[in-house]
Amino acid sequence: MTTVDVPAELVRVPAEVKRERILGVVYLILAAIVAFFFAMGSEGDATFRLGEAGQDIDLTFSAAGFSWVVSAIFAFLAVIHLTRGIGRKSNLVLSIALVLFAFAFLAWAAAGSSFSLLGMLRTTVSAATPIAFGALSGVLCERVAVINIGIEGMLLTGAFMSALVGTVTNPWVGLLAATLSGGVLALGLAVLAIRYRVDQIIAGVVINIFALGLTSFLSSQILVENPDRFNRPGVLQAFRIPLLADIPVIGPILFNQNIFVYALWISVALTAYGLFRTRWGLRARAVGEHPKAADTLGVNVYRMRYLNVLLGGLVAGFGGAYFTLGSVGAFNENMTAGRGFIGLAAMIFGRWHPVGALAAALVFGFADSLQVRLGILDVGIPSDFLLMAPYLVTIIVVAGVVGRARPPAADGQPYVKE
Amino acid sequence: MRKYTRLVALLAALAMVLAACGGGEEPAETTQAAETTVATTPDTTEATPDTTEGTTPDTTEGEEPTADVTPIRACQVTDTGGIDDRSFNQTAWKGVQDAIADGYATEDSDYLESTSATDYETNINSWIQEGCDLIITVGFLLGDATAAAAEANPDQYFEILDFAYEEDIPNVVGAVFNTVDAAFLAGYLAAGVSETGVIATYGGIQLPGAVTDFMDGFVYGARYYNQQNGTDVQVLGWNPEEQTGTFTGDFENLDNGRNVSQAFVEEGADVILPVAGPVGEGTAALAAEIGNLWVVGVDADWTQTMPQYADVILTSVLKGLDVAAYTVIKDVAEGNFEGGTRVFTIAEDGVGLGTIASSVDQALVDEVEQLRQQLADGTLNARDMAEN
Repeated sequence: MTTVDVPAELVRVPAEVKRERILGVVYLILAAIVAFFFAMGSEGDATFRLGEAGQDIDLTFSAAGFSWVVSAIFAFLAVIHLTRGIGRKSNLVLSIALVLFAFAFLAWAAAGSSFSLLGMLRTTVSAATPIAFGALSGVLCERVAVINIGIEGMLLTGAFMSALVGTVTNPWVGLLAATLSGGVLALGLAVLAIRYRVDQIIAGVVINIFALGLTSFLSSQILVENPDRFNRPGVLQAFRIPLLADIPVIGPILFNQNIFVYALWISVALTAYGLFRTRWGLRARAVGEHPKAADTLGVNVYRMRYLNVLLGGLVAGFGGAYFTLGSVGAFNENMTAGRGFIGLAAMIFGRWHPVGALAAALVFGFADSLQVRLGILDVGIPSDFLLMAPYLVTIIVVAGVVGRARPPAADGQPYVKE
Repeated sequence: MRKYTRLVALLAALAMVLAACGGGEEPAETTQAAETTVATTPDTTEATPDTTEGTTPDTTEGEEPTADVTPIRACQVTDTGGIDDRSFNQTAWKGVQDAIADGYATEDSDYLESTSATDYETNINSWIQEGCDLIITVGFLLGDATAAAAEANPDQYFEILDFAYEEDIPNVVGAVFNTVDAAFLAGYLAAGVSETGVIATYGGIQLPGAVTDFMDGFVYGARYYNQQNGTDVQVLGWNPEEQTGTFTGDFENLDNGRNVSQAFVEEGADVILPVAGPVGEGTAALAAEIGNLWVVGVDADWTQTMPQYADVILTSVLKGLDVAAYTVIKDVAEGNFEGGTRVFTIAEDGVGLGTIASSVDQALVDEVEQLRQQLADGTLNARDMAEN
């Protein structure tokens, strides 16, 4: 091993050079799209409204001018990538670039008219909430090396239980029941995966199918028969947090939401702190990376795994209640419609980190609400293509931005104590 | 790791496919049905000039059967929604009961409920064995089972509600509904009550005709209102010329319906027509929470199906499954059964508006009633409002 004294960031392995080149080409294509479609295709000013109804905080600018600027930035980035490269900050730059691209798109769509950017960002948060809970559940489980494919089923069960129990008793008890039901399913997963060492993917899929079948059956037999008694839990309405909600723009987006959104901020913060700043977190991560080493040092691997999977289930169950108590106040068959799987993708995109998972969920939520706004602005894109956008963005981001995401080393492997 | 990522992607894709395929209970008829709706409307209207004088909701009821009527045994098979779904199955059963009351159907006319998709065939076959004169199946979910049974038993009469076949089956009546006209009335009414001058519509999945007819009609109605009153009410979410607009992507995720509606509200809309089956409940939930938002129901009268949201329901765009069931029973009883696609129009109350909110100005309600008559007698054509 030769010891040449070169700063680590200047060492460029071939794979990285290749990635820089690919990114350079991507930026060139983006610059061309923005220039030819958005800049040359739009006339007039676009207005992004940033205030709530009645407030006039408007952002008015020339749509074409903005697109030219964005296009120039992309071209500049392409040149840097193709010559010296950006290095470690390239993911951050790419994220910002994608946001710029989205805004150029919006400016083109809104040229000559206006739309509520504030509203779009607010629905971004509400669309991201259940996904983020799902992703957080995934993080908790996979950090101790148990793959949780059953998030979708846990969300769905949470939604069902919150509707049923919430109607029979009151919404808060419903919320508790939803949380616990997610925990029960997670215990099932834990017993199968940890004690009986069943293939974790299969165990998770079984949980999903079980949850879908059971909730659909019970829904048609109980909820639909008598909705007044069993399927009218009501909605936990949004409430303003005084002062914080008065901050222009950010206030209404972050602090005029319902309890699920606030709970999300808190759980992400707690999980991030817990996993990376406490003894529990260190042990959990050790169990996920190298269970044998952790065991040797006296960490009870099985207990850690049971505990974290259970926690993950509780989080997913709570998140599932969002669909009923946090949104529409009624359960409907398969109402989660794949959000749990998107949560799983968000977890990977977020690199198994709670904050990353939240960011990923927000990206999906943003793409989703962008899609809705484009439909409303009547841009003439067929709705089927618009509906693809959130998934397309997720795939591009997972494949492109994330690059080398590294899961916990022992992820998915059962541990056999010797 | 790579394998795992792929698997996740695969599962996610699978989930989307499943979500897309799932469909609601009644996302309305099929493509073909809708196309035939458009194509055959003028003929049907001409063919039934005698019904146009009727202005009361149930023109067909209360008629005394003529001498050559033989009451028939009509047997209904529900879809998985059950007979008391306060929607399609229940409405259809009301038609059968009306026919019993009027002496076209016998007292032993009955229904069988399907609890799962596997029951469809079994239920149809048990009615065949029991010797029913007319078997009425409800909804597109029963399309395949009905076609199979009809082909195996060419002498048995069938009627399938809210569905039509690409190729007519001689012993099956496919009853479909000209929803454009009813949605036209809803659009006119919505434009009339809107205070912001912005109304909106969205769909679940863009099923040409089945979903888009509602949206077309809604936009045309609003345009007609503008033309008549010199206003400039905008309709968000649907462009009938380009056939592009806002969709939630499935008939299941109610939260999407809420988010889309929230977006409409932020763009100023104060009346929304969701054509998305149960997903529309998301709009109703939002309206109940924020106020100042009307919802227009579809398929059934939402003040009946969702009484908890009655305060925010402006009206509903109805499909008269009862009229369709009643009419075909009457045809069979009179010996006039004729298979093939049959379009039920506004003229025979095959489509119409449900309960209109009591706070709506009576003058506007009267205008809508006049329009209904004009649409019924053919002096007004909703599709003339298309800007092609």
